[in-house]
Amino acid sequence: MKSVRRLKSLQTRLLVPLLVLLTAVWLGTVLLTWLDVRHELDELLDGHLAQAAALLVMQQSGETDHDGVEDAPSLHKYAPKVIFQVFHEGRLVLRSANAGTSPISSHGPGFSTERLGDGQLWRVFSTLGGEDDVLVLVGEHSESRDAILLAVLQGVLVPLAFALPLLALVGWWSVRQGLLPLRQLSQLLGQRRPQALEPLQIDNLPTEMKPMVQSLNALFDRIAQMVDSERRFTADAAHELRTPIAGIRAQAQVAMGAMDDVAQREHALQATLAGCDRATRLVEQLLTLARLEAAAAPTAATFDLSATARRVAADLGSTALERHQTLELVANAPCAVAGDEMLIGVMVRNLIDNAIRYSPDGARILLSITNESGQTVLRVQDSGAGMSEPEMARLGERFFRVLGSQQPGSGLGWSIVRRIADVFGVHVQVSRSKTLGGLSVAVRWPVDARP
Amino acid sequence: MRILLAEDDAMLGDGLRAGLRQLGFQVDWVRDGGAAEREIASGDYAAAVLDLGLPVKDGIDVLQSLRQRKIDTPVLVLTARDAVPDRIRGLDLGADDYVIKPVDLHELGARLRSLVRRSHGQLQDVLRCGAVSLDPSARQVTRHGEVVPLSTREFDLLYVLMLSAGRVMSREQLEQKLYSWGYEVDSNAIEVHIHHLRRKLQPELIQTVRGIGYTVARPQDSA
Repeated sequence: MKSVRRLKSLQTRLLVPLLVLLTAVWLGTVLLTWLDVRHELDELLDGHLAQAAALLVMQQSGETDHDGVEDAPSLHKYAPKVIFQVFHEGRLVLRSANAGTSPISSHGPGFSTERLGDGQLWRVFSTLGGEDDVLVLVGEHSESRDAILLAVLQGVLVPLAFALPLLALVGWWSVRQGLLPLRQLSQLLGQRRPQALEPLQIDNLPTEMKPMVQSLNALFDRIAQMVDSERRFTADAAHELRTPIAGIRAQAQVAMGAMDDVAQREHALQATLAGCDRATRLVEQLLTLARLEAAAAPTAATFDLSATARRVAADLGSTALERHQTLELVANAPCAVAGDEMLIGVMVRNLIDNAIRYSPDGARILLSITNESGQTVLRVQDSGAGMSEPEMARLGERFFRVLGSQQPGSGLGWSIVRRIADVFGVHVQVSRSKTLGGLSVAVRWPVDARP
Repeated sequence: MRILLAEDDAMLGDGLRAGLRQLGFQVDWVRDGGAAEREIASGDYAAAVLDLGLPVKDGIDVLQSLRQRKIDTPVLVLTARDAVPDRIRGLDLGADDYVIKPVDLHELGARLRSLVRRSHGQLQDVLRCGAVSLDPSARQVTRHGEVVPLSTREFDLLYVLMLSAGRVMSREQLEQKLYSWGYEVDSNAIEVHIHHLRRKLQPELIQTVRGIGYTVARPQDSA
């Protein structure tokens, strides 16, 4: 969830890692400096301690006859930060003013860190001198080392403490500047009218944005084409609806004007009804097509194509009989295919309907479902006149009708067939029927029909 | 009044033909652009109703080629193409009227009569010659204000003659302008109708130009 939120702003995505890295580098520098300085400081000051101890040892070796404790004078205000004791044969002989009587370190020769009576930490160097009868202890206040360390670190820390916010500010500003074209683009897009689909200028854009804007332009182009095709469709649909309505109107007026010519009135009224049926069919097909255009991804299930074909063929059987046509179905076994049963039914209905409509009276129409090398193939063949090559190529264009055809088709049936085929990824092929001589339409389900 | 109807839609064509016939027009119906151009070019029609989306040859092309050939038969474009650019193009290419489907039959009849009248240089719907007036929309002829009943053919014949007042029309021309397809025309039919018209109206209304044909005098000549 957190990462998703962070993805939302490019600025955050660029700035946060940058600042985190900067801080890490800064902290690393401080740490390394601190370690380095402390090491050098320890070496130097330990050296001094050892040197001081060496001096005391030499001095004590020369003055072995000495009674009582001598307090060394305190010569400088920093003297209390240093402590020393000299023991001769276990007896304290010399000490600094701030040193007690008991040895400040019980450890053997070498360096050690001790907490003394004042409760503070002291760095102590002890060494044996003379013939091992002299013990010299030299101590130094640990705090003074930390003070030096801090003073050194301050020199590093202070500029960095100023630099970091400055860097963050500059980083923020340059990222913002870098994203400026993006903001300008979004402003430009925000102000666009929905109808404005001309491509965006890409010449002055940063290289990184060009692919995105190119894709946007391609999208605009596709939308423009879609809008254009919708516009054409509306115009065509209006055209196709006006003609039957004009026919209905004319026939109705003829019926009204027929006076006592009963035969003419009868004829005109029949034609009016036929015109209404035709307009209804056209409207239904337009609605089917509109629904299909809107259907982004129809639910895909499997169903028995044979059963669907049988049902549709039974529905249309009476129409074929009226025209003395033979409608035959060859589908032996149940045949499961992928797709929406209702829509595939609409497709099969349109194919059979076309065959009945455009074949002469007494024609033969053969509907078959076969399996060809793993593919399910539904085929509708007729013994009609068939089609020329250019006509076959134009099938599926909206409102295309074969010239000279007396049938009151809408020219939409094929658009519907093609559209349904596209939705379910099935392949529609038109050819001349080898067995019947007319048109043959093959609907082929791919082997792995997964829409 | 003979009208050519060019419409590829069976139901609409049938309805328009029947409706225009009821209104007294003689209607011949063709279903494609090629036939439409051929028939209009024959000059037998007083006007044509032309659909634009015709097979073989589009109505616009028919119109364009007719006008290029200087054939001035009035053409009423009847179409579902309602876009303004389509209308402008149709009118600019020589359509005399541009009507969007669906259309009222009576309006269509009136528009056709108006086209015919104008193409004959007549300003008013009612044609007059002496005491005789002919009202094409009411299909009525009066003499001194009294209605004279005429048969359809007699009316049509008088209408053609009065529209072309001052011009001599031969018997063949009259036949072609009067009879739509499918009518058997008797060789003396025109003479019989002329005879009846003279008897019912005025003997001197229609004059015979011997060897050429018949004519009706222009109104200003006789008035």
